[in-house]
Amino acid sequence: MSKDLPTAVQIKNLTKIFPLPFRKEKVVAVDNLSLSVKPGEVYGLIGPNGSGKSTTMKVLLGLISATSGSSTVFGMSSTETASRGSVGFLPENPYFYKYLTGAETIAFYGKLCGLKRKAIKERTSELLNLVELEGARDRRLAGYSKGMLQRIGLAQALVGRPKLVVLDEPTAGVDPAGSRKIRDLIMQLKEQGITVILSSHLLEQVQEVCDRVGIIFEGKLVREGSLKKLIEIEDQTEIVLENAGSDLLKKISDLVNQESGVNLVRSGRPRTTLETLFLKETGGDSKDARNDS
Amino acid sequence: MTVENNKSIDNELNSKFKLFSLSRVMAIAMNTFTQLVRMKVFYFLLIFSVLIIGANVLFLNFTFEQELKILQDVSFGAMTLFASIFSIVGTALLIPKDIEDRTLYSILTKPVPRFEYLVGKLLGILFLVAVSLLLMSILFFAVLFVRQHGILAEEINQMRGQPSQEQISSLREDIFAQGLRLELINGVVAVFLKAAVAAAIALVVSTFASSTLFTIIVSLVIYFIGHAQSMALNYYFPEGDMHGALQRFIAGIVAIIFPNLQIFNVVDGIVSGQSVPMSLMFRLTGLTGFYLFIYSFVSWVIFAKKEL
Repeated sequence: MSKDLPTAVQIKNLTKIFPLPFRKEKVVAVDNLSLSVKPGEVYGLIGPNGSGKSTTMKVLLGLISATSGSSTVFGMSSTETASRGSVGFLPENPYFYKYLTGAETIAFYGKLCGLKRKAIKERTSELLNLVELEGARDRRLAGYSKGMLQRIGLAQALVGRPKLVVLDEPTAGVDPAGSRKIRDLIMQLKEQGITVILSSHLLEQVQEVCDRVGIIFEGKLVREGSLKKLIEIEDQTEIVLENAGSDLLKKISDLVNQESGVNLVRSGRPRTTLETLFLKETGGDSKDARNDS
Repeated sequence: MTVENNKSIDNELNSKFKLFSLSRVMAIAMNTFTQLVRMKVFYFLLIFSVLIIGANVLFLNFTFEQELKILQDVSFGAMTLFASIFSIVGTALLIPKDIEDRTLYSILTKPVPRFEYLVGKLLGILFLVAVSLLLMSILFFAVLFVRQHGILAEEINQMRGQPSQEQISSLREDIFAQGLRLELINGVVAVFLKAAVAAAIALVVSTFASSTLFTIIVSLVIYFIGHAQSMALNYYFPEGDMHGALQRFIAGIVAIIFPNLQIFNVVDGIVSGQSVPMSLMFRLTGLTGFYLFIYSFVSWVIFAKKEL
């Protein structure tokens, strides 16, 4: 499926300058940034606050215009409204219409994507099931928890069956169990061949789901590449042993010391992550987060 | 979910993108209407009911002409007030709020042209104003109908002796001529048209305003100046003296920025028993259409370039 499609996202020499009102200075939010994302790839855009991640995403989504440079989505300029037909977007801390119920929210966005009544009904049920909010379908969004809002946000992003999903801080403010659910949904999108661009401060999560990562700092793309390559420490090798006794460890240590130029940097018990521990202790892996309000 | 269902959904989604889609506009319009309804704006009907019933109770000792006139004055006054408030505050509240809350992001990142968003919002507000006016009119006409029959009965009772059929007919004609009549519908339409222009003013302001409060204040200022516009133009450029091209240009610009809202005030004449020529109603409708078009276009020009 992916092979027939053009590059999912192509950003070329993108620069965005914001003039400051009543002042001569200008803020360069994005500085000559170029990147491309292949179809079916999960691409992580990481960087500190104010580094230009959201501005890049906004240009890609046509919410703001570029000062110079260009961006395309599946070969179509992102300045064209039609390009949004293949995109789904989940903004950071999404605010939807609180007076609508979960089902009405999906239906509203479905209509905007051009779905007819029957298709909307089917798609609404399908998506509410996917994000595990079927039980809250007739509850108004005003009564939703942060995690539920994030999931309904993801559902509205998927209503038009997008080929590209852009997620801006998808797990911001969500508890570990909710965060894990969103991560699982991203993995499902990946399995379906949907291209995903996500920005996140939770680097561990980016590491878990992304194929490639771009690091933005002060508007510039300072590093980019496959995650595996980027985080690999080239001159070190890791061996993890199970049920190894102290004698064996001593032998290995002695063997290493016999080799010139080779050092044993560290040995000890590997540690689990706090997130894994938390989920194990709270049953977050299996517990339905439908009741997390 | 069957494969066939999936295919039909895909076909709908893959159909060619339309530059203008009425169904998208209607989705935004109906969503706006729902939003306002769920904000419980229709509670105003209680206030309206209290006002017109109060107008009945307070002015019982007046002559029937005065009583019916007061009832109509109060009703039309309240209708104008509520319709204008809904138009200006509704528009001012919704668009800047969508921007502030970033709800707009999730709408405009769907294949929705910005023009459709603006038109949808405006239509939603106008739909709400129309429904409100319809409900108020039903209430108003019902009270007026009951009251005119009540007055007729009271007047017959107060007549000495047994009134002839001719006397009763003449009395009925006098009372009913100032009661429920078709002319009142023209008054309601004029109130709606004025509210539509007010909503369009608020739409323009909300596209460049930074807050709801700013939008409301600026729109209200334009609304009030609009009522004095023709008077000011007549003072500075008397009809016979408007020869120069510059004068005409200035007058034209003033008329576009500050629409002549005084021209929509036909209800005073209707309440006093005057009839409104249909030509005037057509003119008002045309003028409203012109202002809606111009203001929507200006809103789009500003909003299309707005950085969100």
